[in-house]
Amino acid sequence: MSDKKHQVTRRQFLNYTLTGVGGFMAAGLLVSPIRMAIDPVLKESSSGDLVNVGISVDEITDVPQRVDWTVEQVDGWYKSEPSRSAWVYKDENGEIVALSPICTHLGCVVSWEGSEEHPNRFYCPCHDGLYEKDGTNVPGTPPLTPLAVYEQEVRDGILFLGNPIDRKGA
Amino acid sequence: MLQKIYDWIDERVDVTPIWRDIADHEVPEHVNPAHHFSAFVYCFGGLTFFVVVIQILSGMFLTMYYVPDIENAWKSVYYLQTEVAHGQIVRGMHHWGASVVIVMLLLHTLRVFFQGAYKKPRELNWMVGVLLFFVMLGLGFTGYLLPWDNKAYFATQVGLEIAQQVPFIGDELKVLLAGDENIVGAQTLTRFFAIHVFFLPAILFALLAVHFILIRRQGISGPL
Amino acid sequence: MKRGKGMKFVGDSRISAEKTSYYPKDYSEYPGRTEAFWPNFLLKEWLAGSVFLVGFLTLTLAHPSPLEGMADPTNASYIPLPDWYFLFLYELLKYEFASGDFILIGILGIPGLAFGALLLAPFLDNGPGRKPRQRPIAVSMMLLALASVVWLTYESASAVDWESRAEANKPIPESDVTIDVDHPGYAVYEASCMSCHGGELEGSAAAPSLIGIEYSAEEIADIAVNGLGAMPAGLFTGSDEELQQLAEFIVSVNESAE
Repeated sequence: MSDKKHQVTRRQFLNYTLTGVGGFMAAGLLVSPIRMAIDPVLKESSSGDLVNVGISVDEITDVPQRVDWTVEQVDGWYKSEPSRSAWVYKDENGEIVALSPICTHLGCVVSWEGSEEHPNRFYCPCHDGLYEKDGTNVPGTPPLTPLAVYEQEVRDGILFLGNPIDRKGA
Repeated sequence: MLQKIYDWIDERVDVTPIWRDIADHEVPEHVNPAHHFSAFVYCFGGLTFFVVVIQILSGMFLTMYYVPDIENAWKSVYYLQTEVAHGQIVRGMHHWGASVVIVMLLLHTLRVFFQGAYKKPRELNWMVGVLLFFVMLGLGFTGYLLPWDNKAYFATQVGLEIAQQVPFIGDELKVLLAGDENIVGAQTLTRFFAIHVFFLPAILFALLAVHFILIRRQGISGPL
Repeated sequence: MKRGKGMKFVGDSRISAEKTSYYPKDYSEYPGRTEAFWPNFLLKEWLAGSVFLVGFLTLTLAHPSPLEGMADPTNASYIPLPDWYFLFLYELLKYEFASGDFILIGILGIPGLAFGALLLAPFLDNGPGRKPRQRPIAVSMMLLALASVVWLTYESASAVDWESRAEANKPIPESDVTIDVDHPGYAVYEASCMSCHGGELEGSAAAPSLIGIEYSAEEIADIAVNGLGAMPAGLFTGSDEELQQLAEFIVSVNESAE
């Protein structure tokens, strides 16, 4: 009987060793491919540089106006120049505010006073979403979070904008 | 828990004999390098399969970055090679694997040939093996074009010229491969990609399955 | 513990409800002992596989896979070359009896005969003996074929200067270089160097790229006068001032490319 017991442990030992060796081979094979596959997750986003949007600070009033510009976008091996837009105005303190026009509901494009029934508000035509002038969503309309605000900087009196930053819901 | 799931499936599908056949069969001493070192020649078949596994894995991962388009193919490979972490290694695995698999295949073929292991009853398995060899050469030929660099382009052009010389069907054969009568270009690349990634691997898997099933059925040939 | 409870089929099934028992392959007619595939034999196989894998990965790390410049169908000076395992077929077509009027022999006749014979080997060599000595024709044909493949591959490969070939066809990174045509050195470059080194210093079949070189202005000036490697001396003909401007121009382009 002791002989049989010995055989079982030997078989178990071989099984463990086999699993170990198999694991080693699988790891050796997969480590590089997996590192390659998850590379985009680990890579720092290259976009985010502030871009001259072609409007000087003097031109900005307290009424939101739409500004369009293009950014250079490097998508892997593909370079393109997609356009961006923003609603830009000065608030009561004279601070410049640049709001993303992308509705936080389903991604349509909002416009300032886009509906005659809703003056002094941003209006989204898709589902009648409304935002206050500072971008806060109006409760009772579809969007649940305020419009995103662009990173901004003023250099030599010219407005530079970066990426839109999401804000928490009101 | 696992045992219960296994029993549930086994009761319905009867999977036990399938893995028992693979796990429990005995391996004779004369093919075991641990007993006679010269038996290492029996490793070449297994190593060929191992490299095929490497090729499948690395190839699957490479398609995450590769595009079969003449504008972008080279750029995506260059991007993979220079910008993506470990991209060069994965492409290297696929590149060198393509060469190593041919070497291993050759050694395996020579082992079987010089041992006369293809004799009755194993004639069919030999023929399946030779077909596997052809499929592998086809994979090498089509895969060579995919990076869309100069060496790939001009080698494929020569290859297609040779195909065109075949009597009667040469012209049609060339158009079928290249997608156009005169141009080696966008349509050629997508065709070669499809052949390399879908058609030939499908044939490869089918033949490999037959190859392995026949080995289990007929067993390993005896010692000389 | 008994696994596998067998299948119970419905009464009208044509498949037998009897469980077919499994008989493992018996190798008792062979000399020596046998051992179980799992885990005994597989462990040895995988150990060999691990050693192979380590060697393979070392090869992969030591030699990055080559990539030449993007395909340029208008590049008339490019000499095509297939992958190494097709070289013997490629070389075969250089022989007189396998090219020109006899091209069919080269592309179909000889390879077709060889590969056809390989495919049908069990039927051509159908004697009972398995030892190489018992089938001299088959074995000698195989040795002959093997020798010719090795010879043809060697002939083809030895005629190629692999290193200079790889050097000449290096991929050129997308040119981020800005060529300042107003630079005083540009006119000098245009006059003396451009025909070989290209309009954007990208190099050509005749000369390497000047982008990414690690020479100082003095060294560049020296190379322009005295040559380097395959570049002959005395290509530059101009004043010392022009030489200085040329070197500064090349350095400035290199700085812009970084």
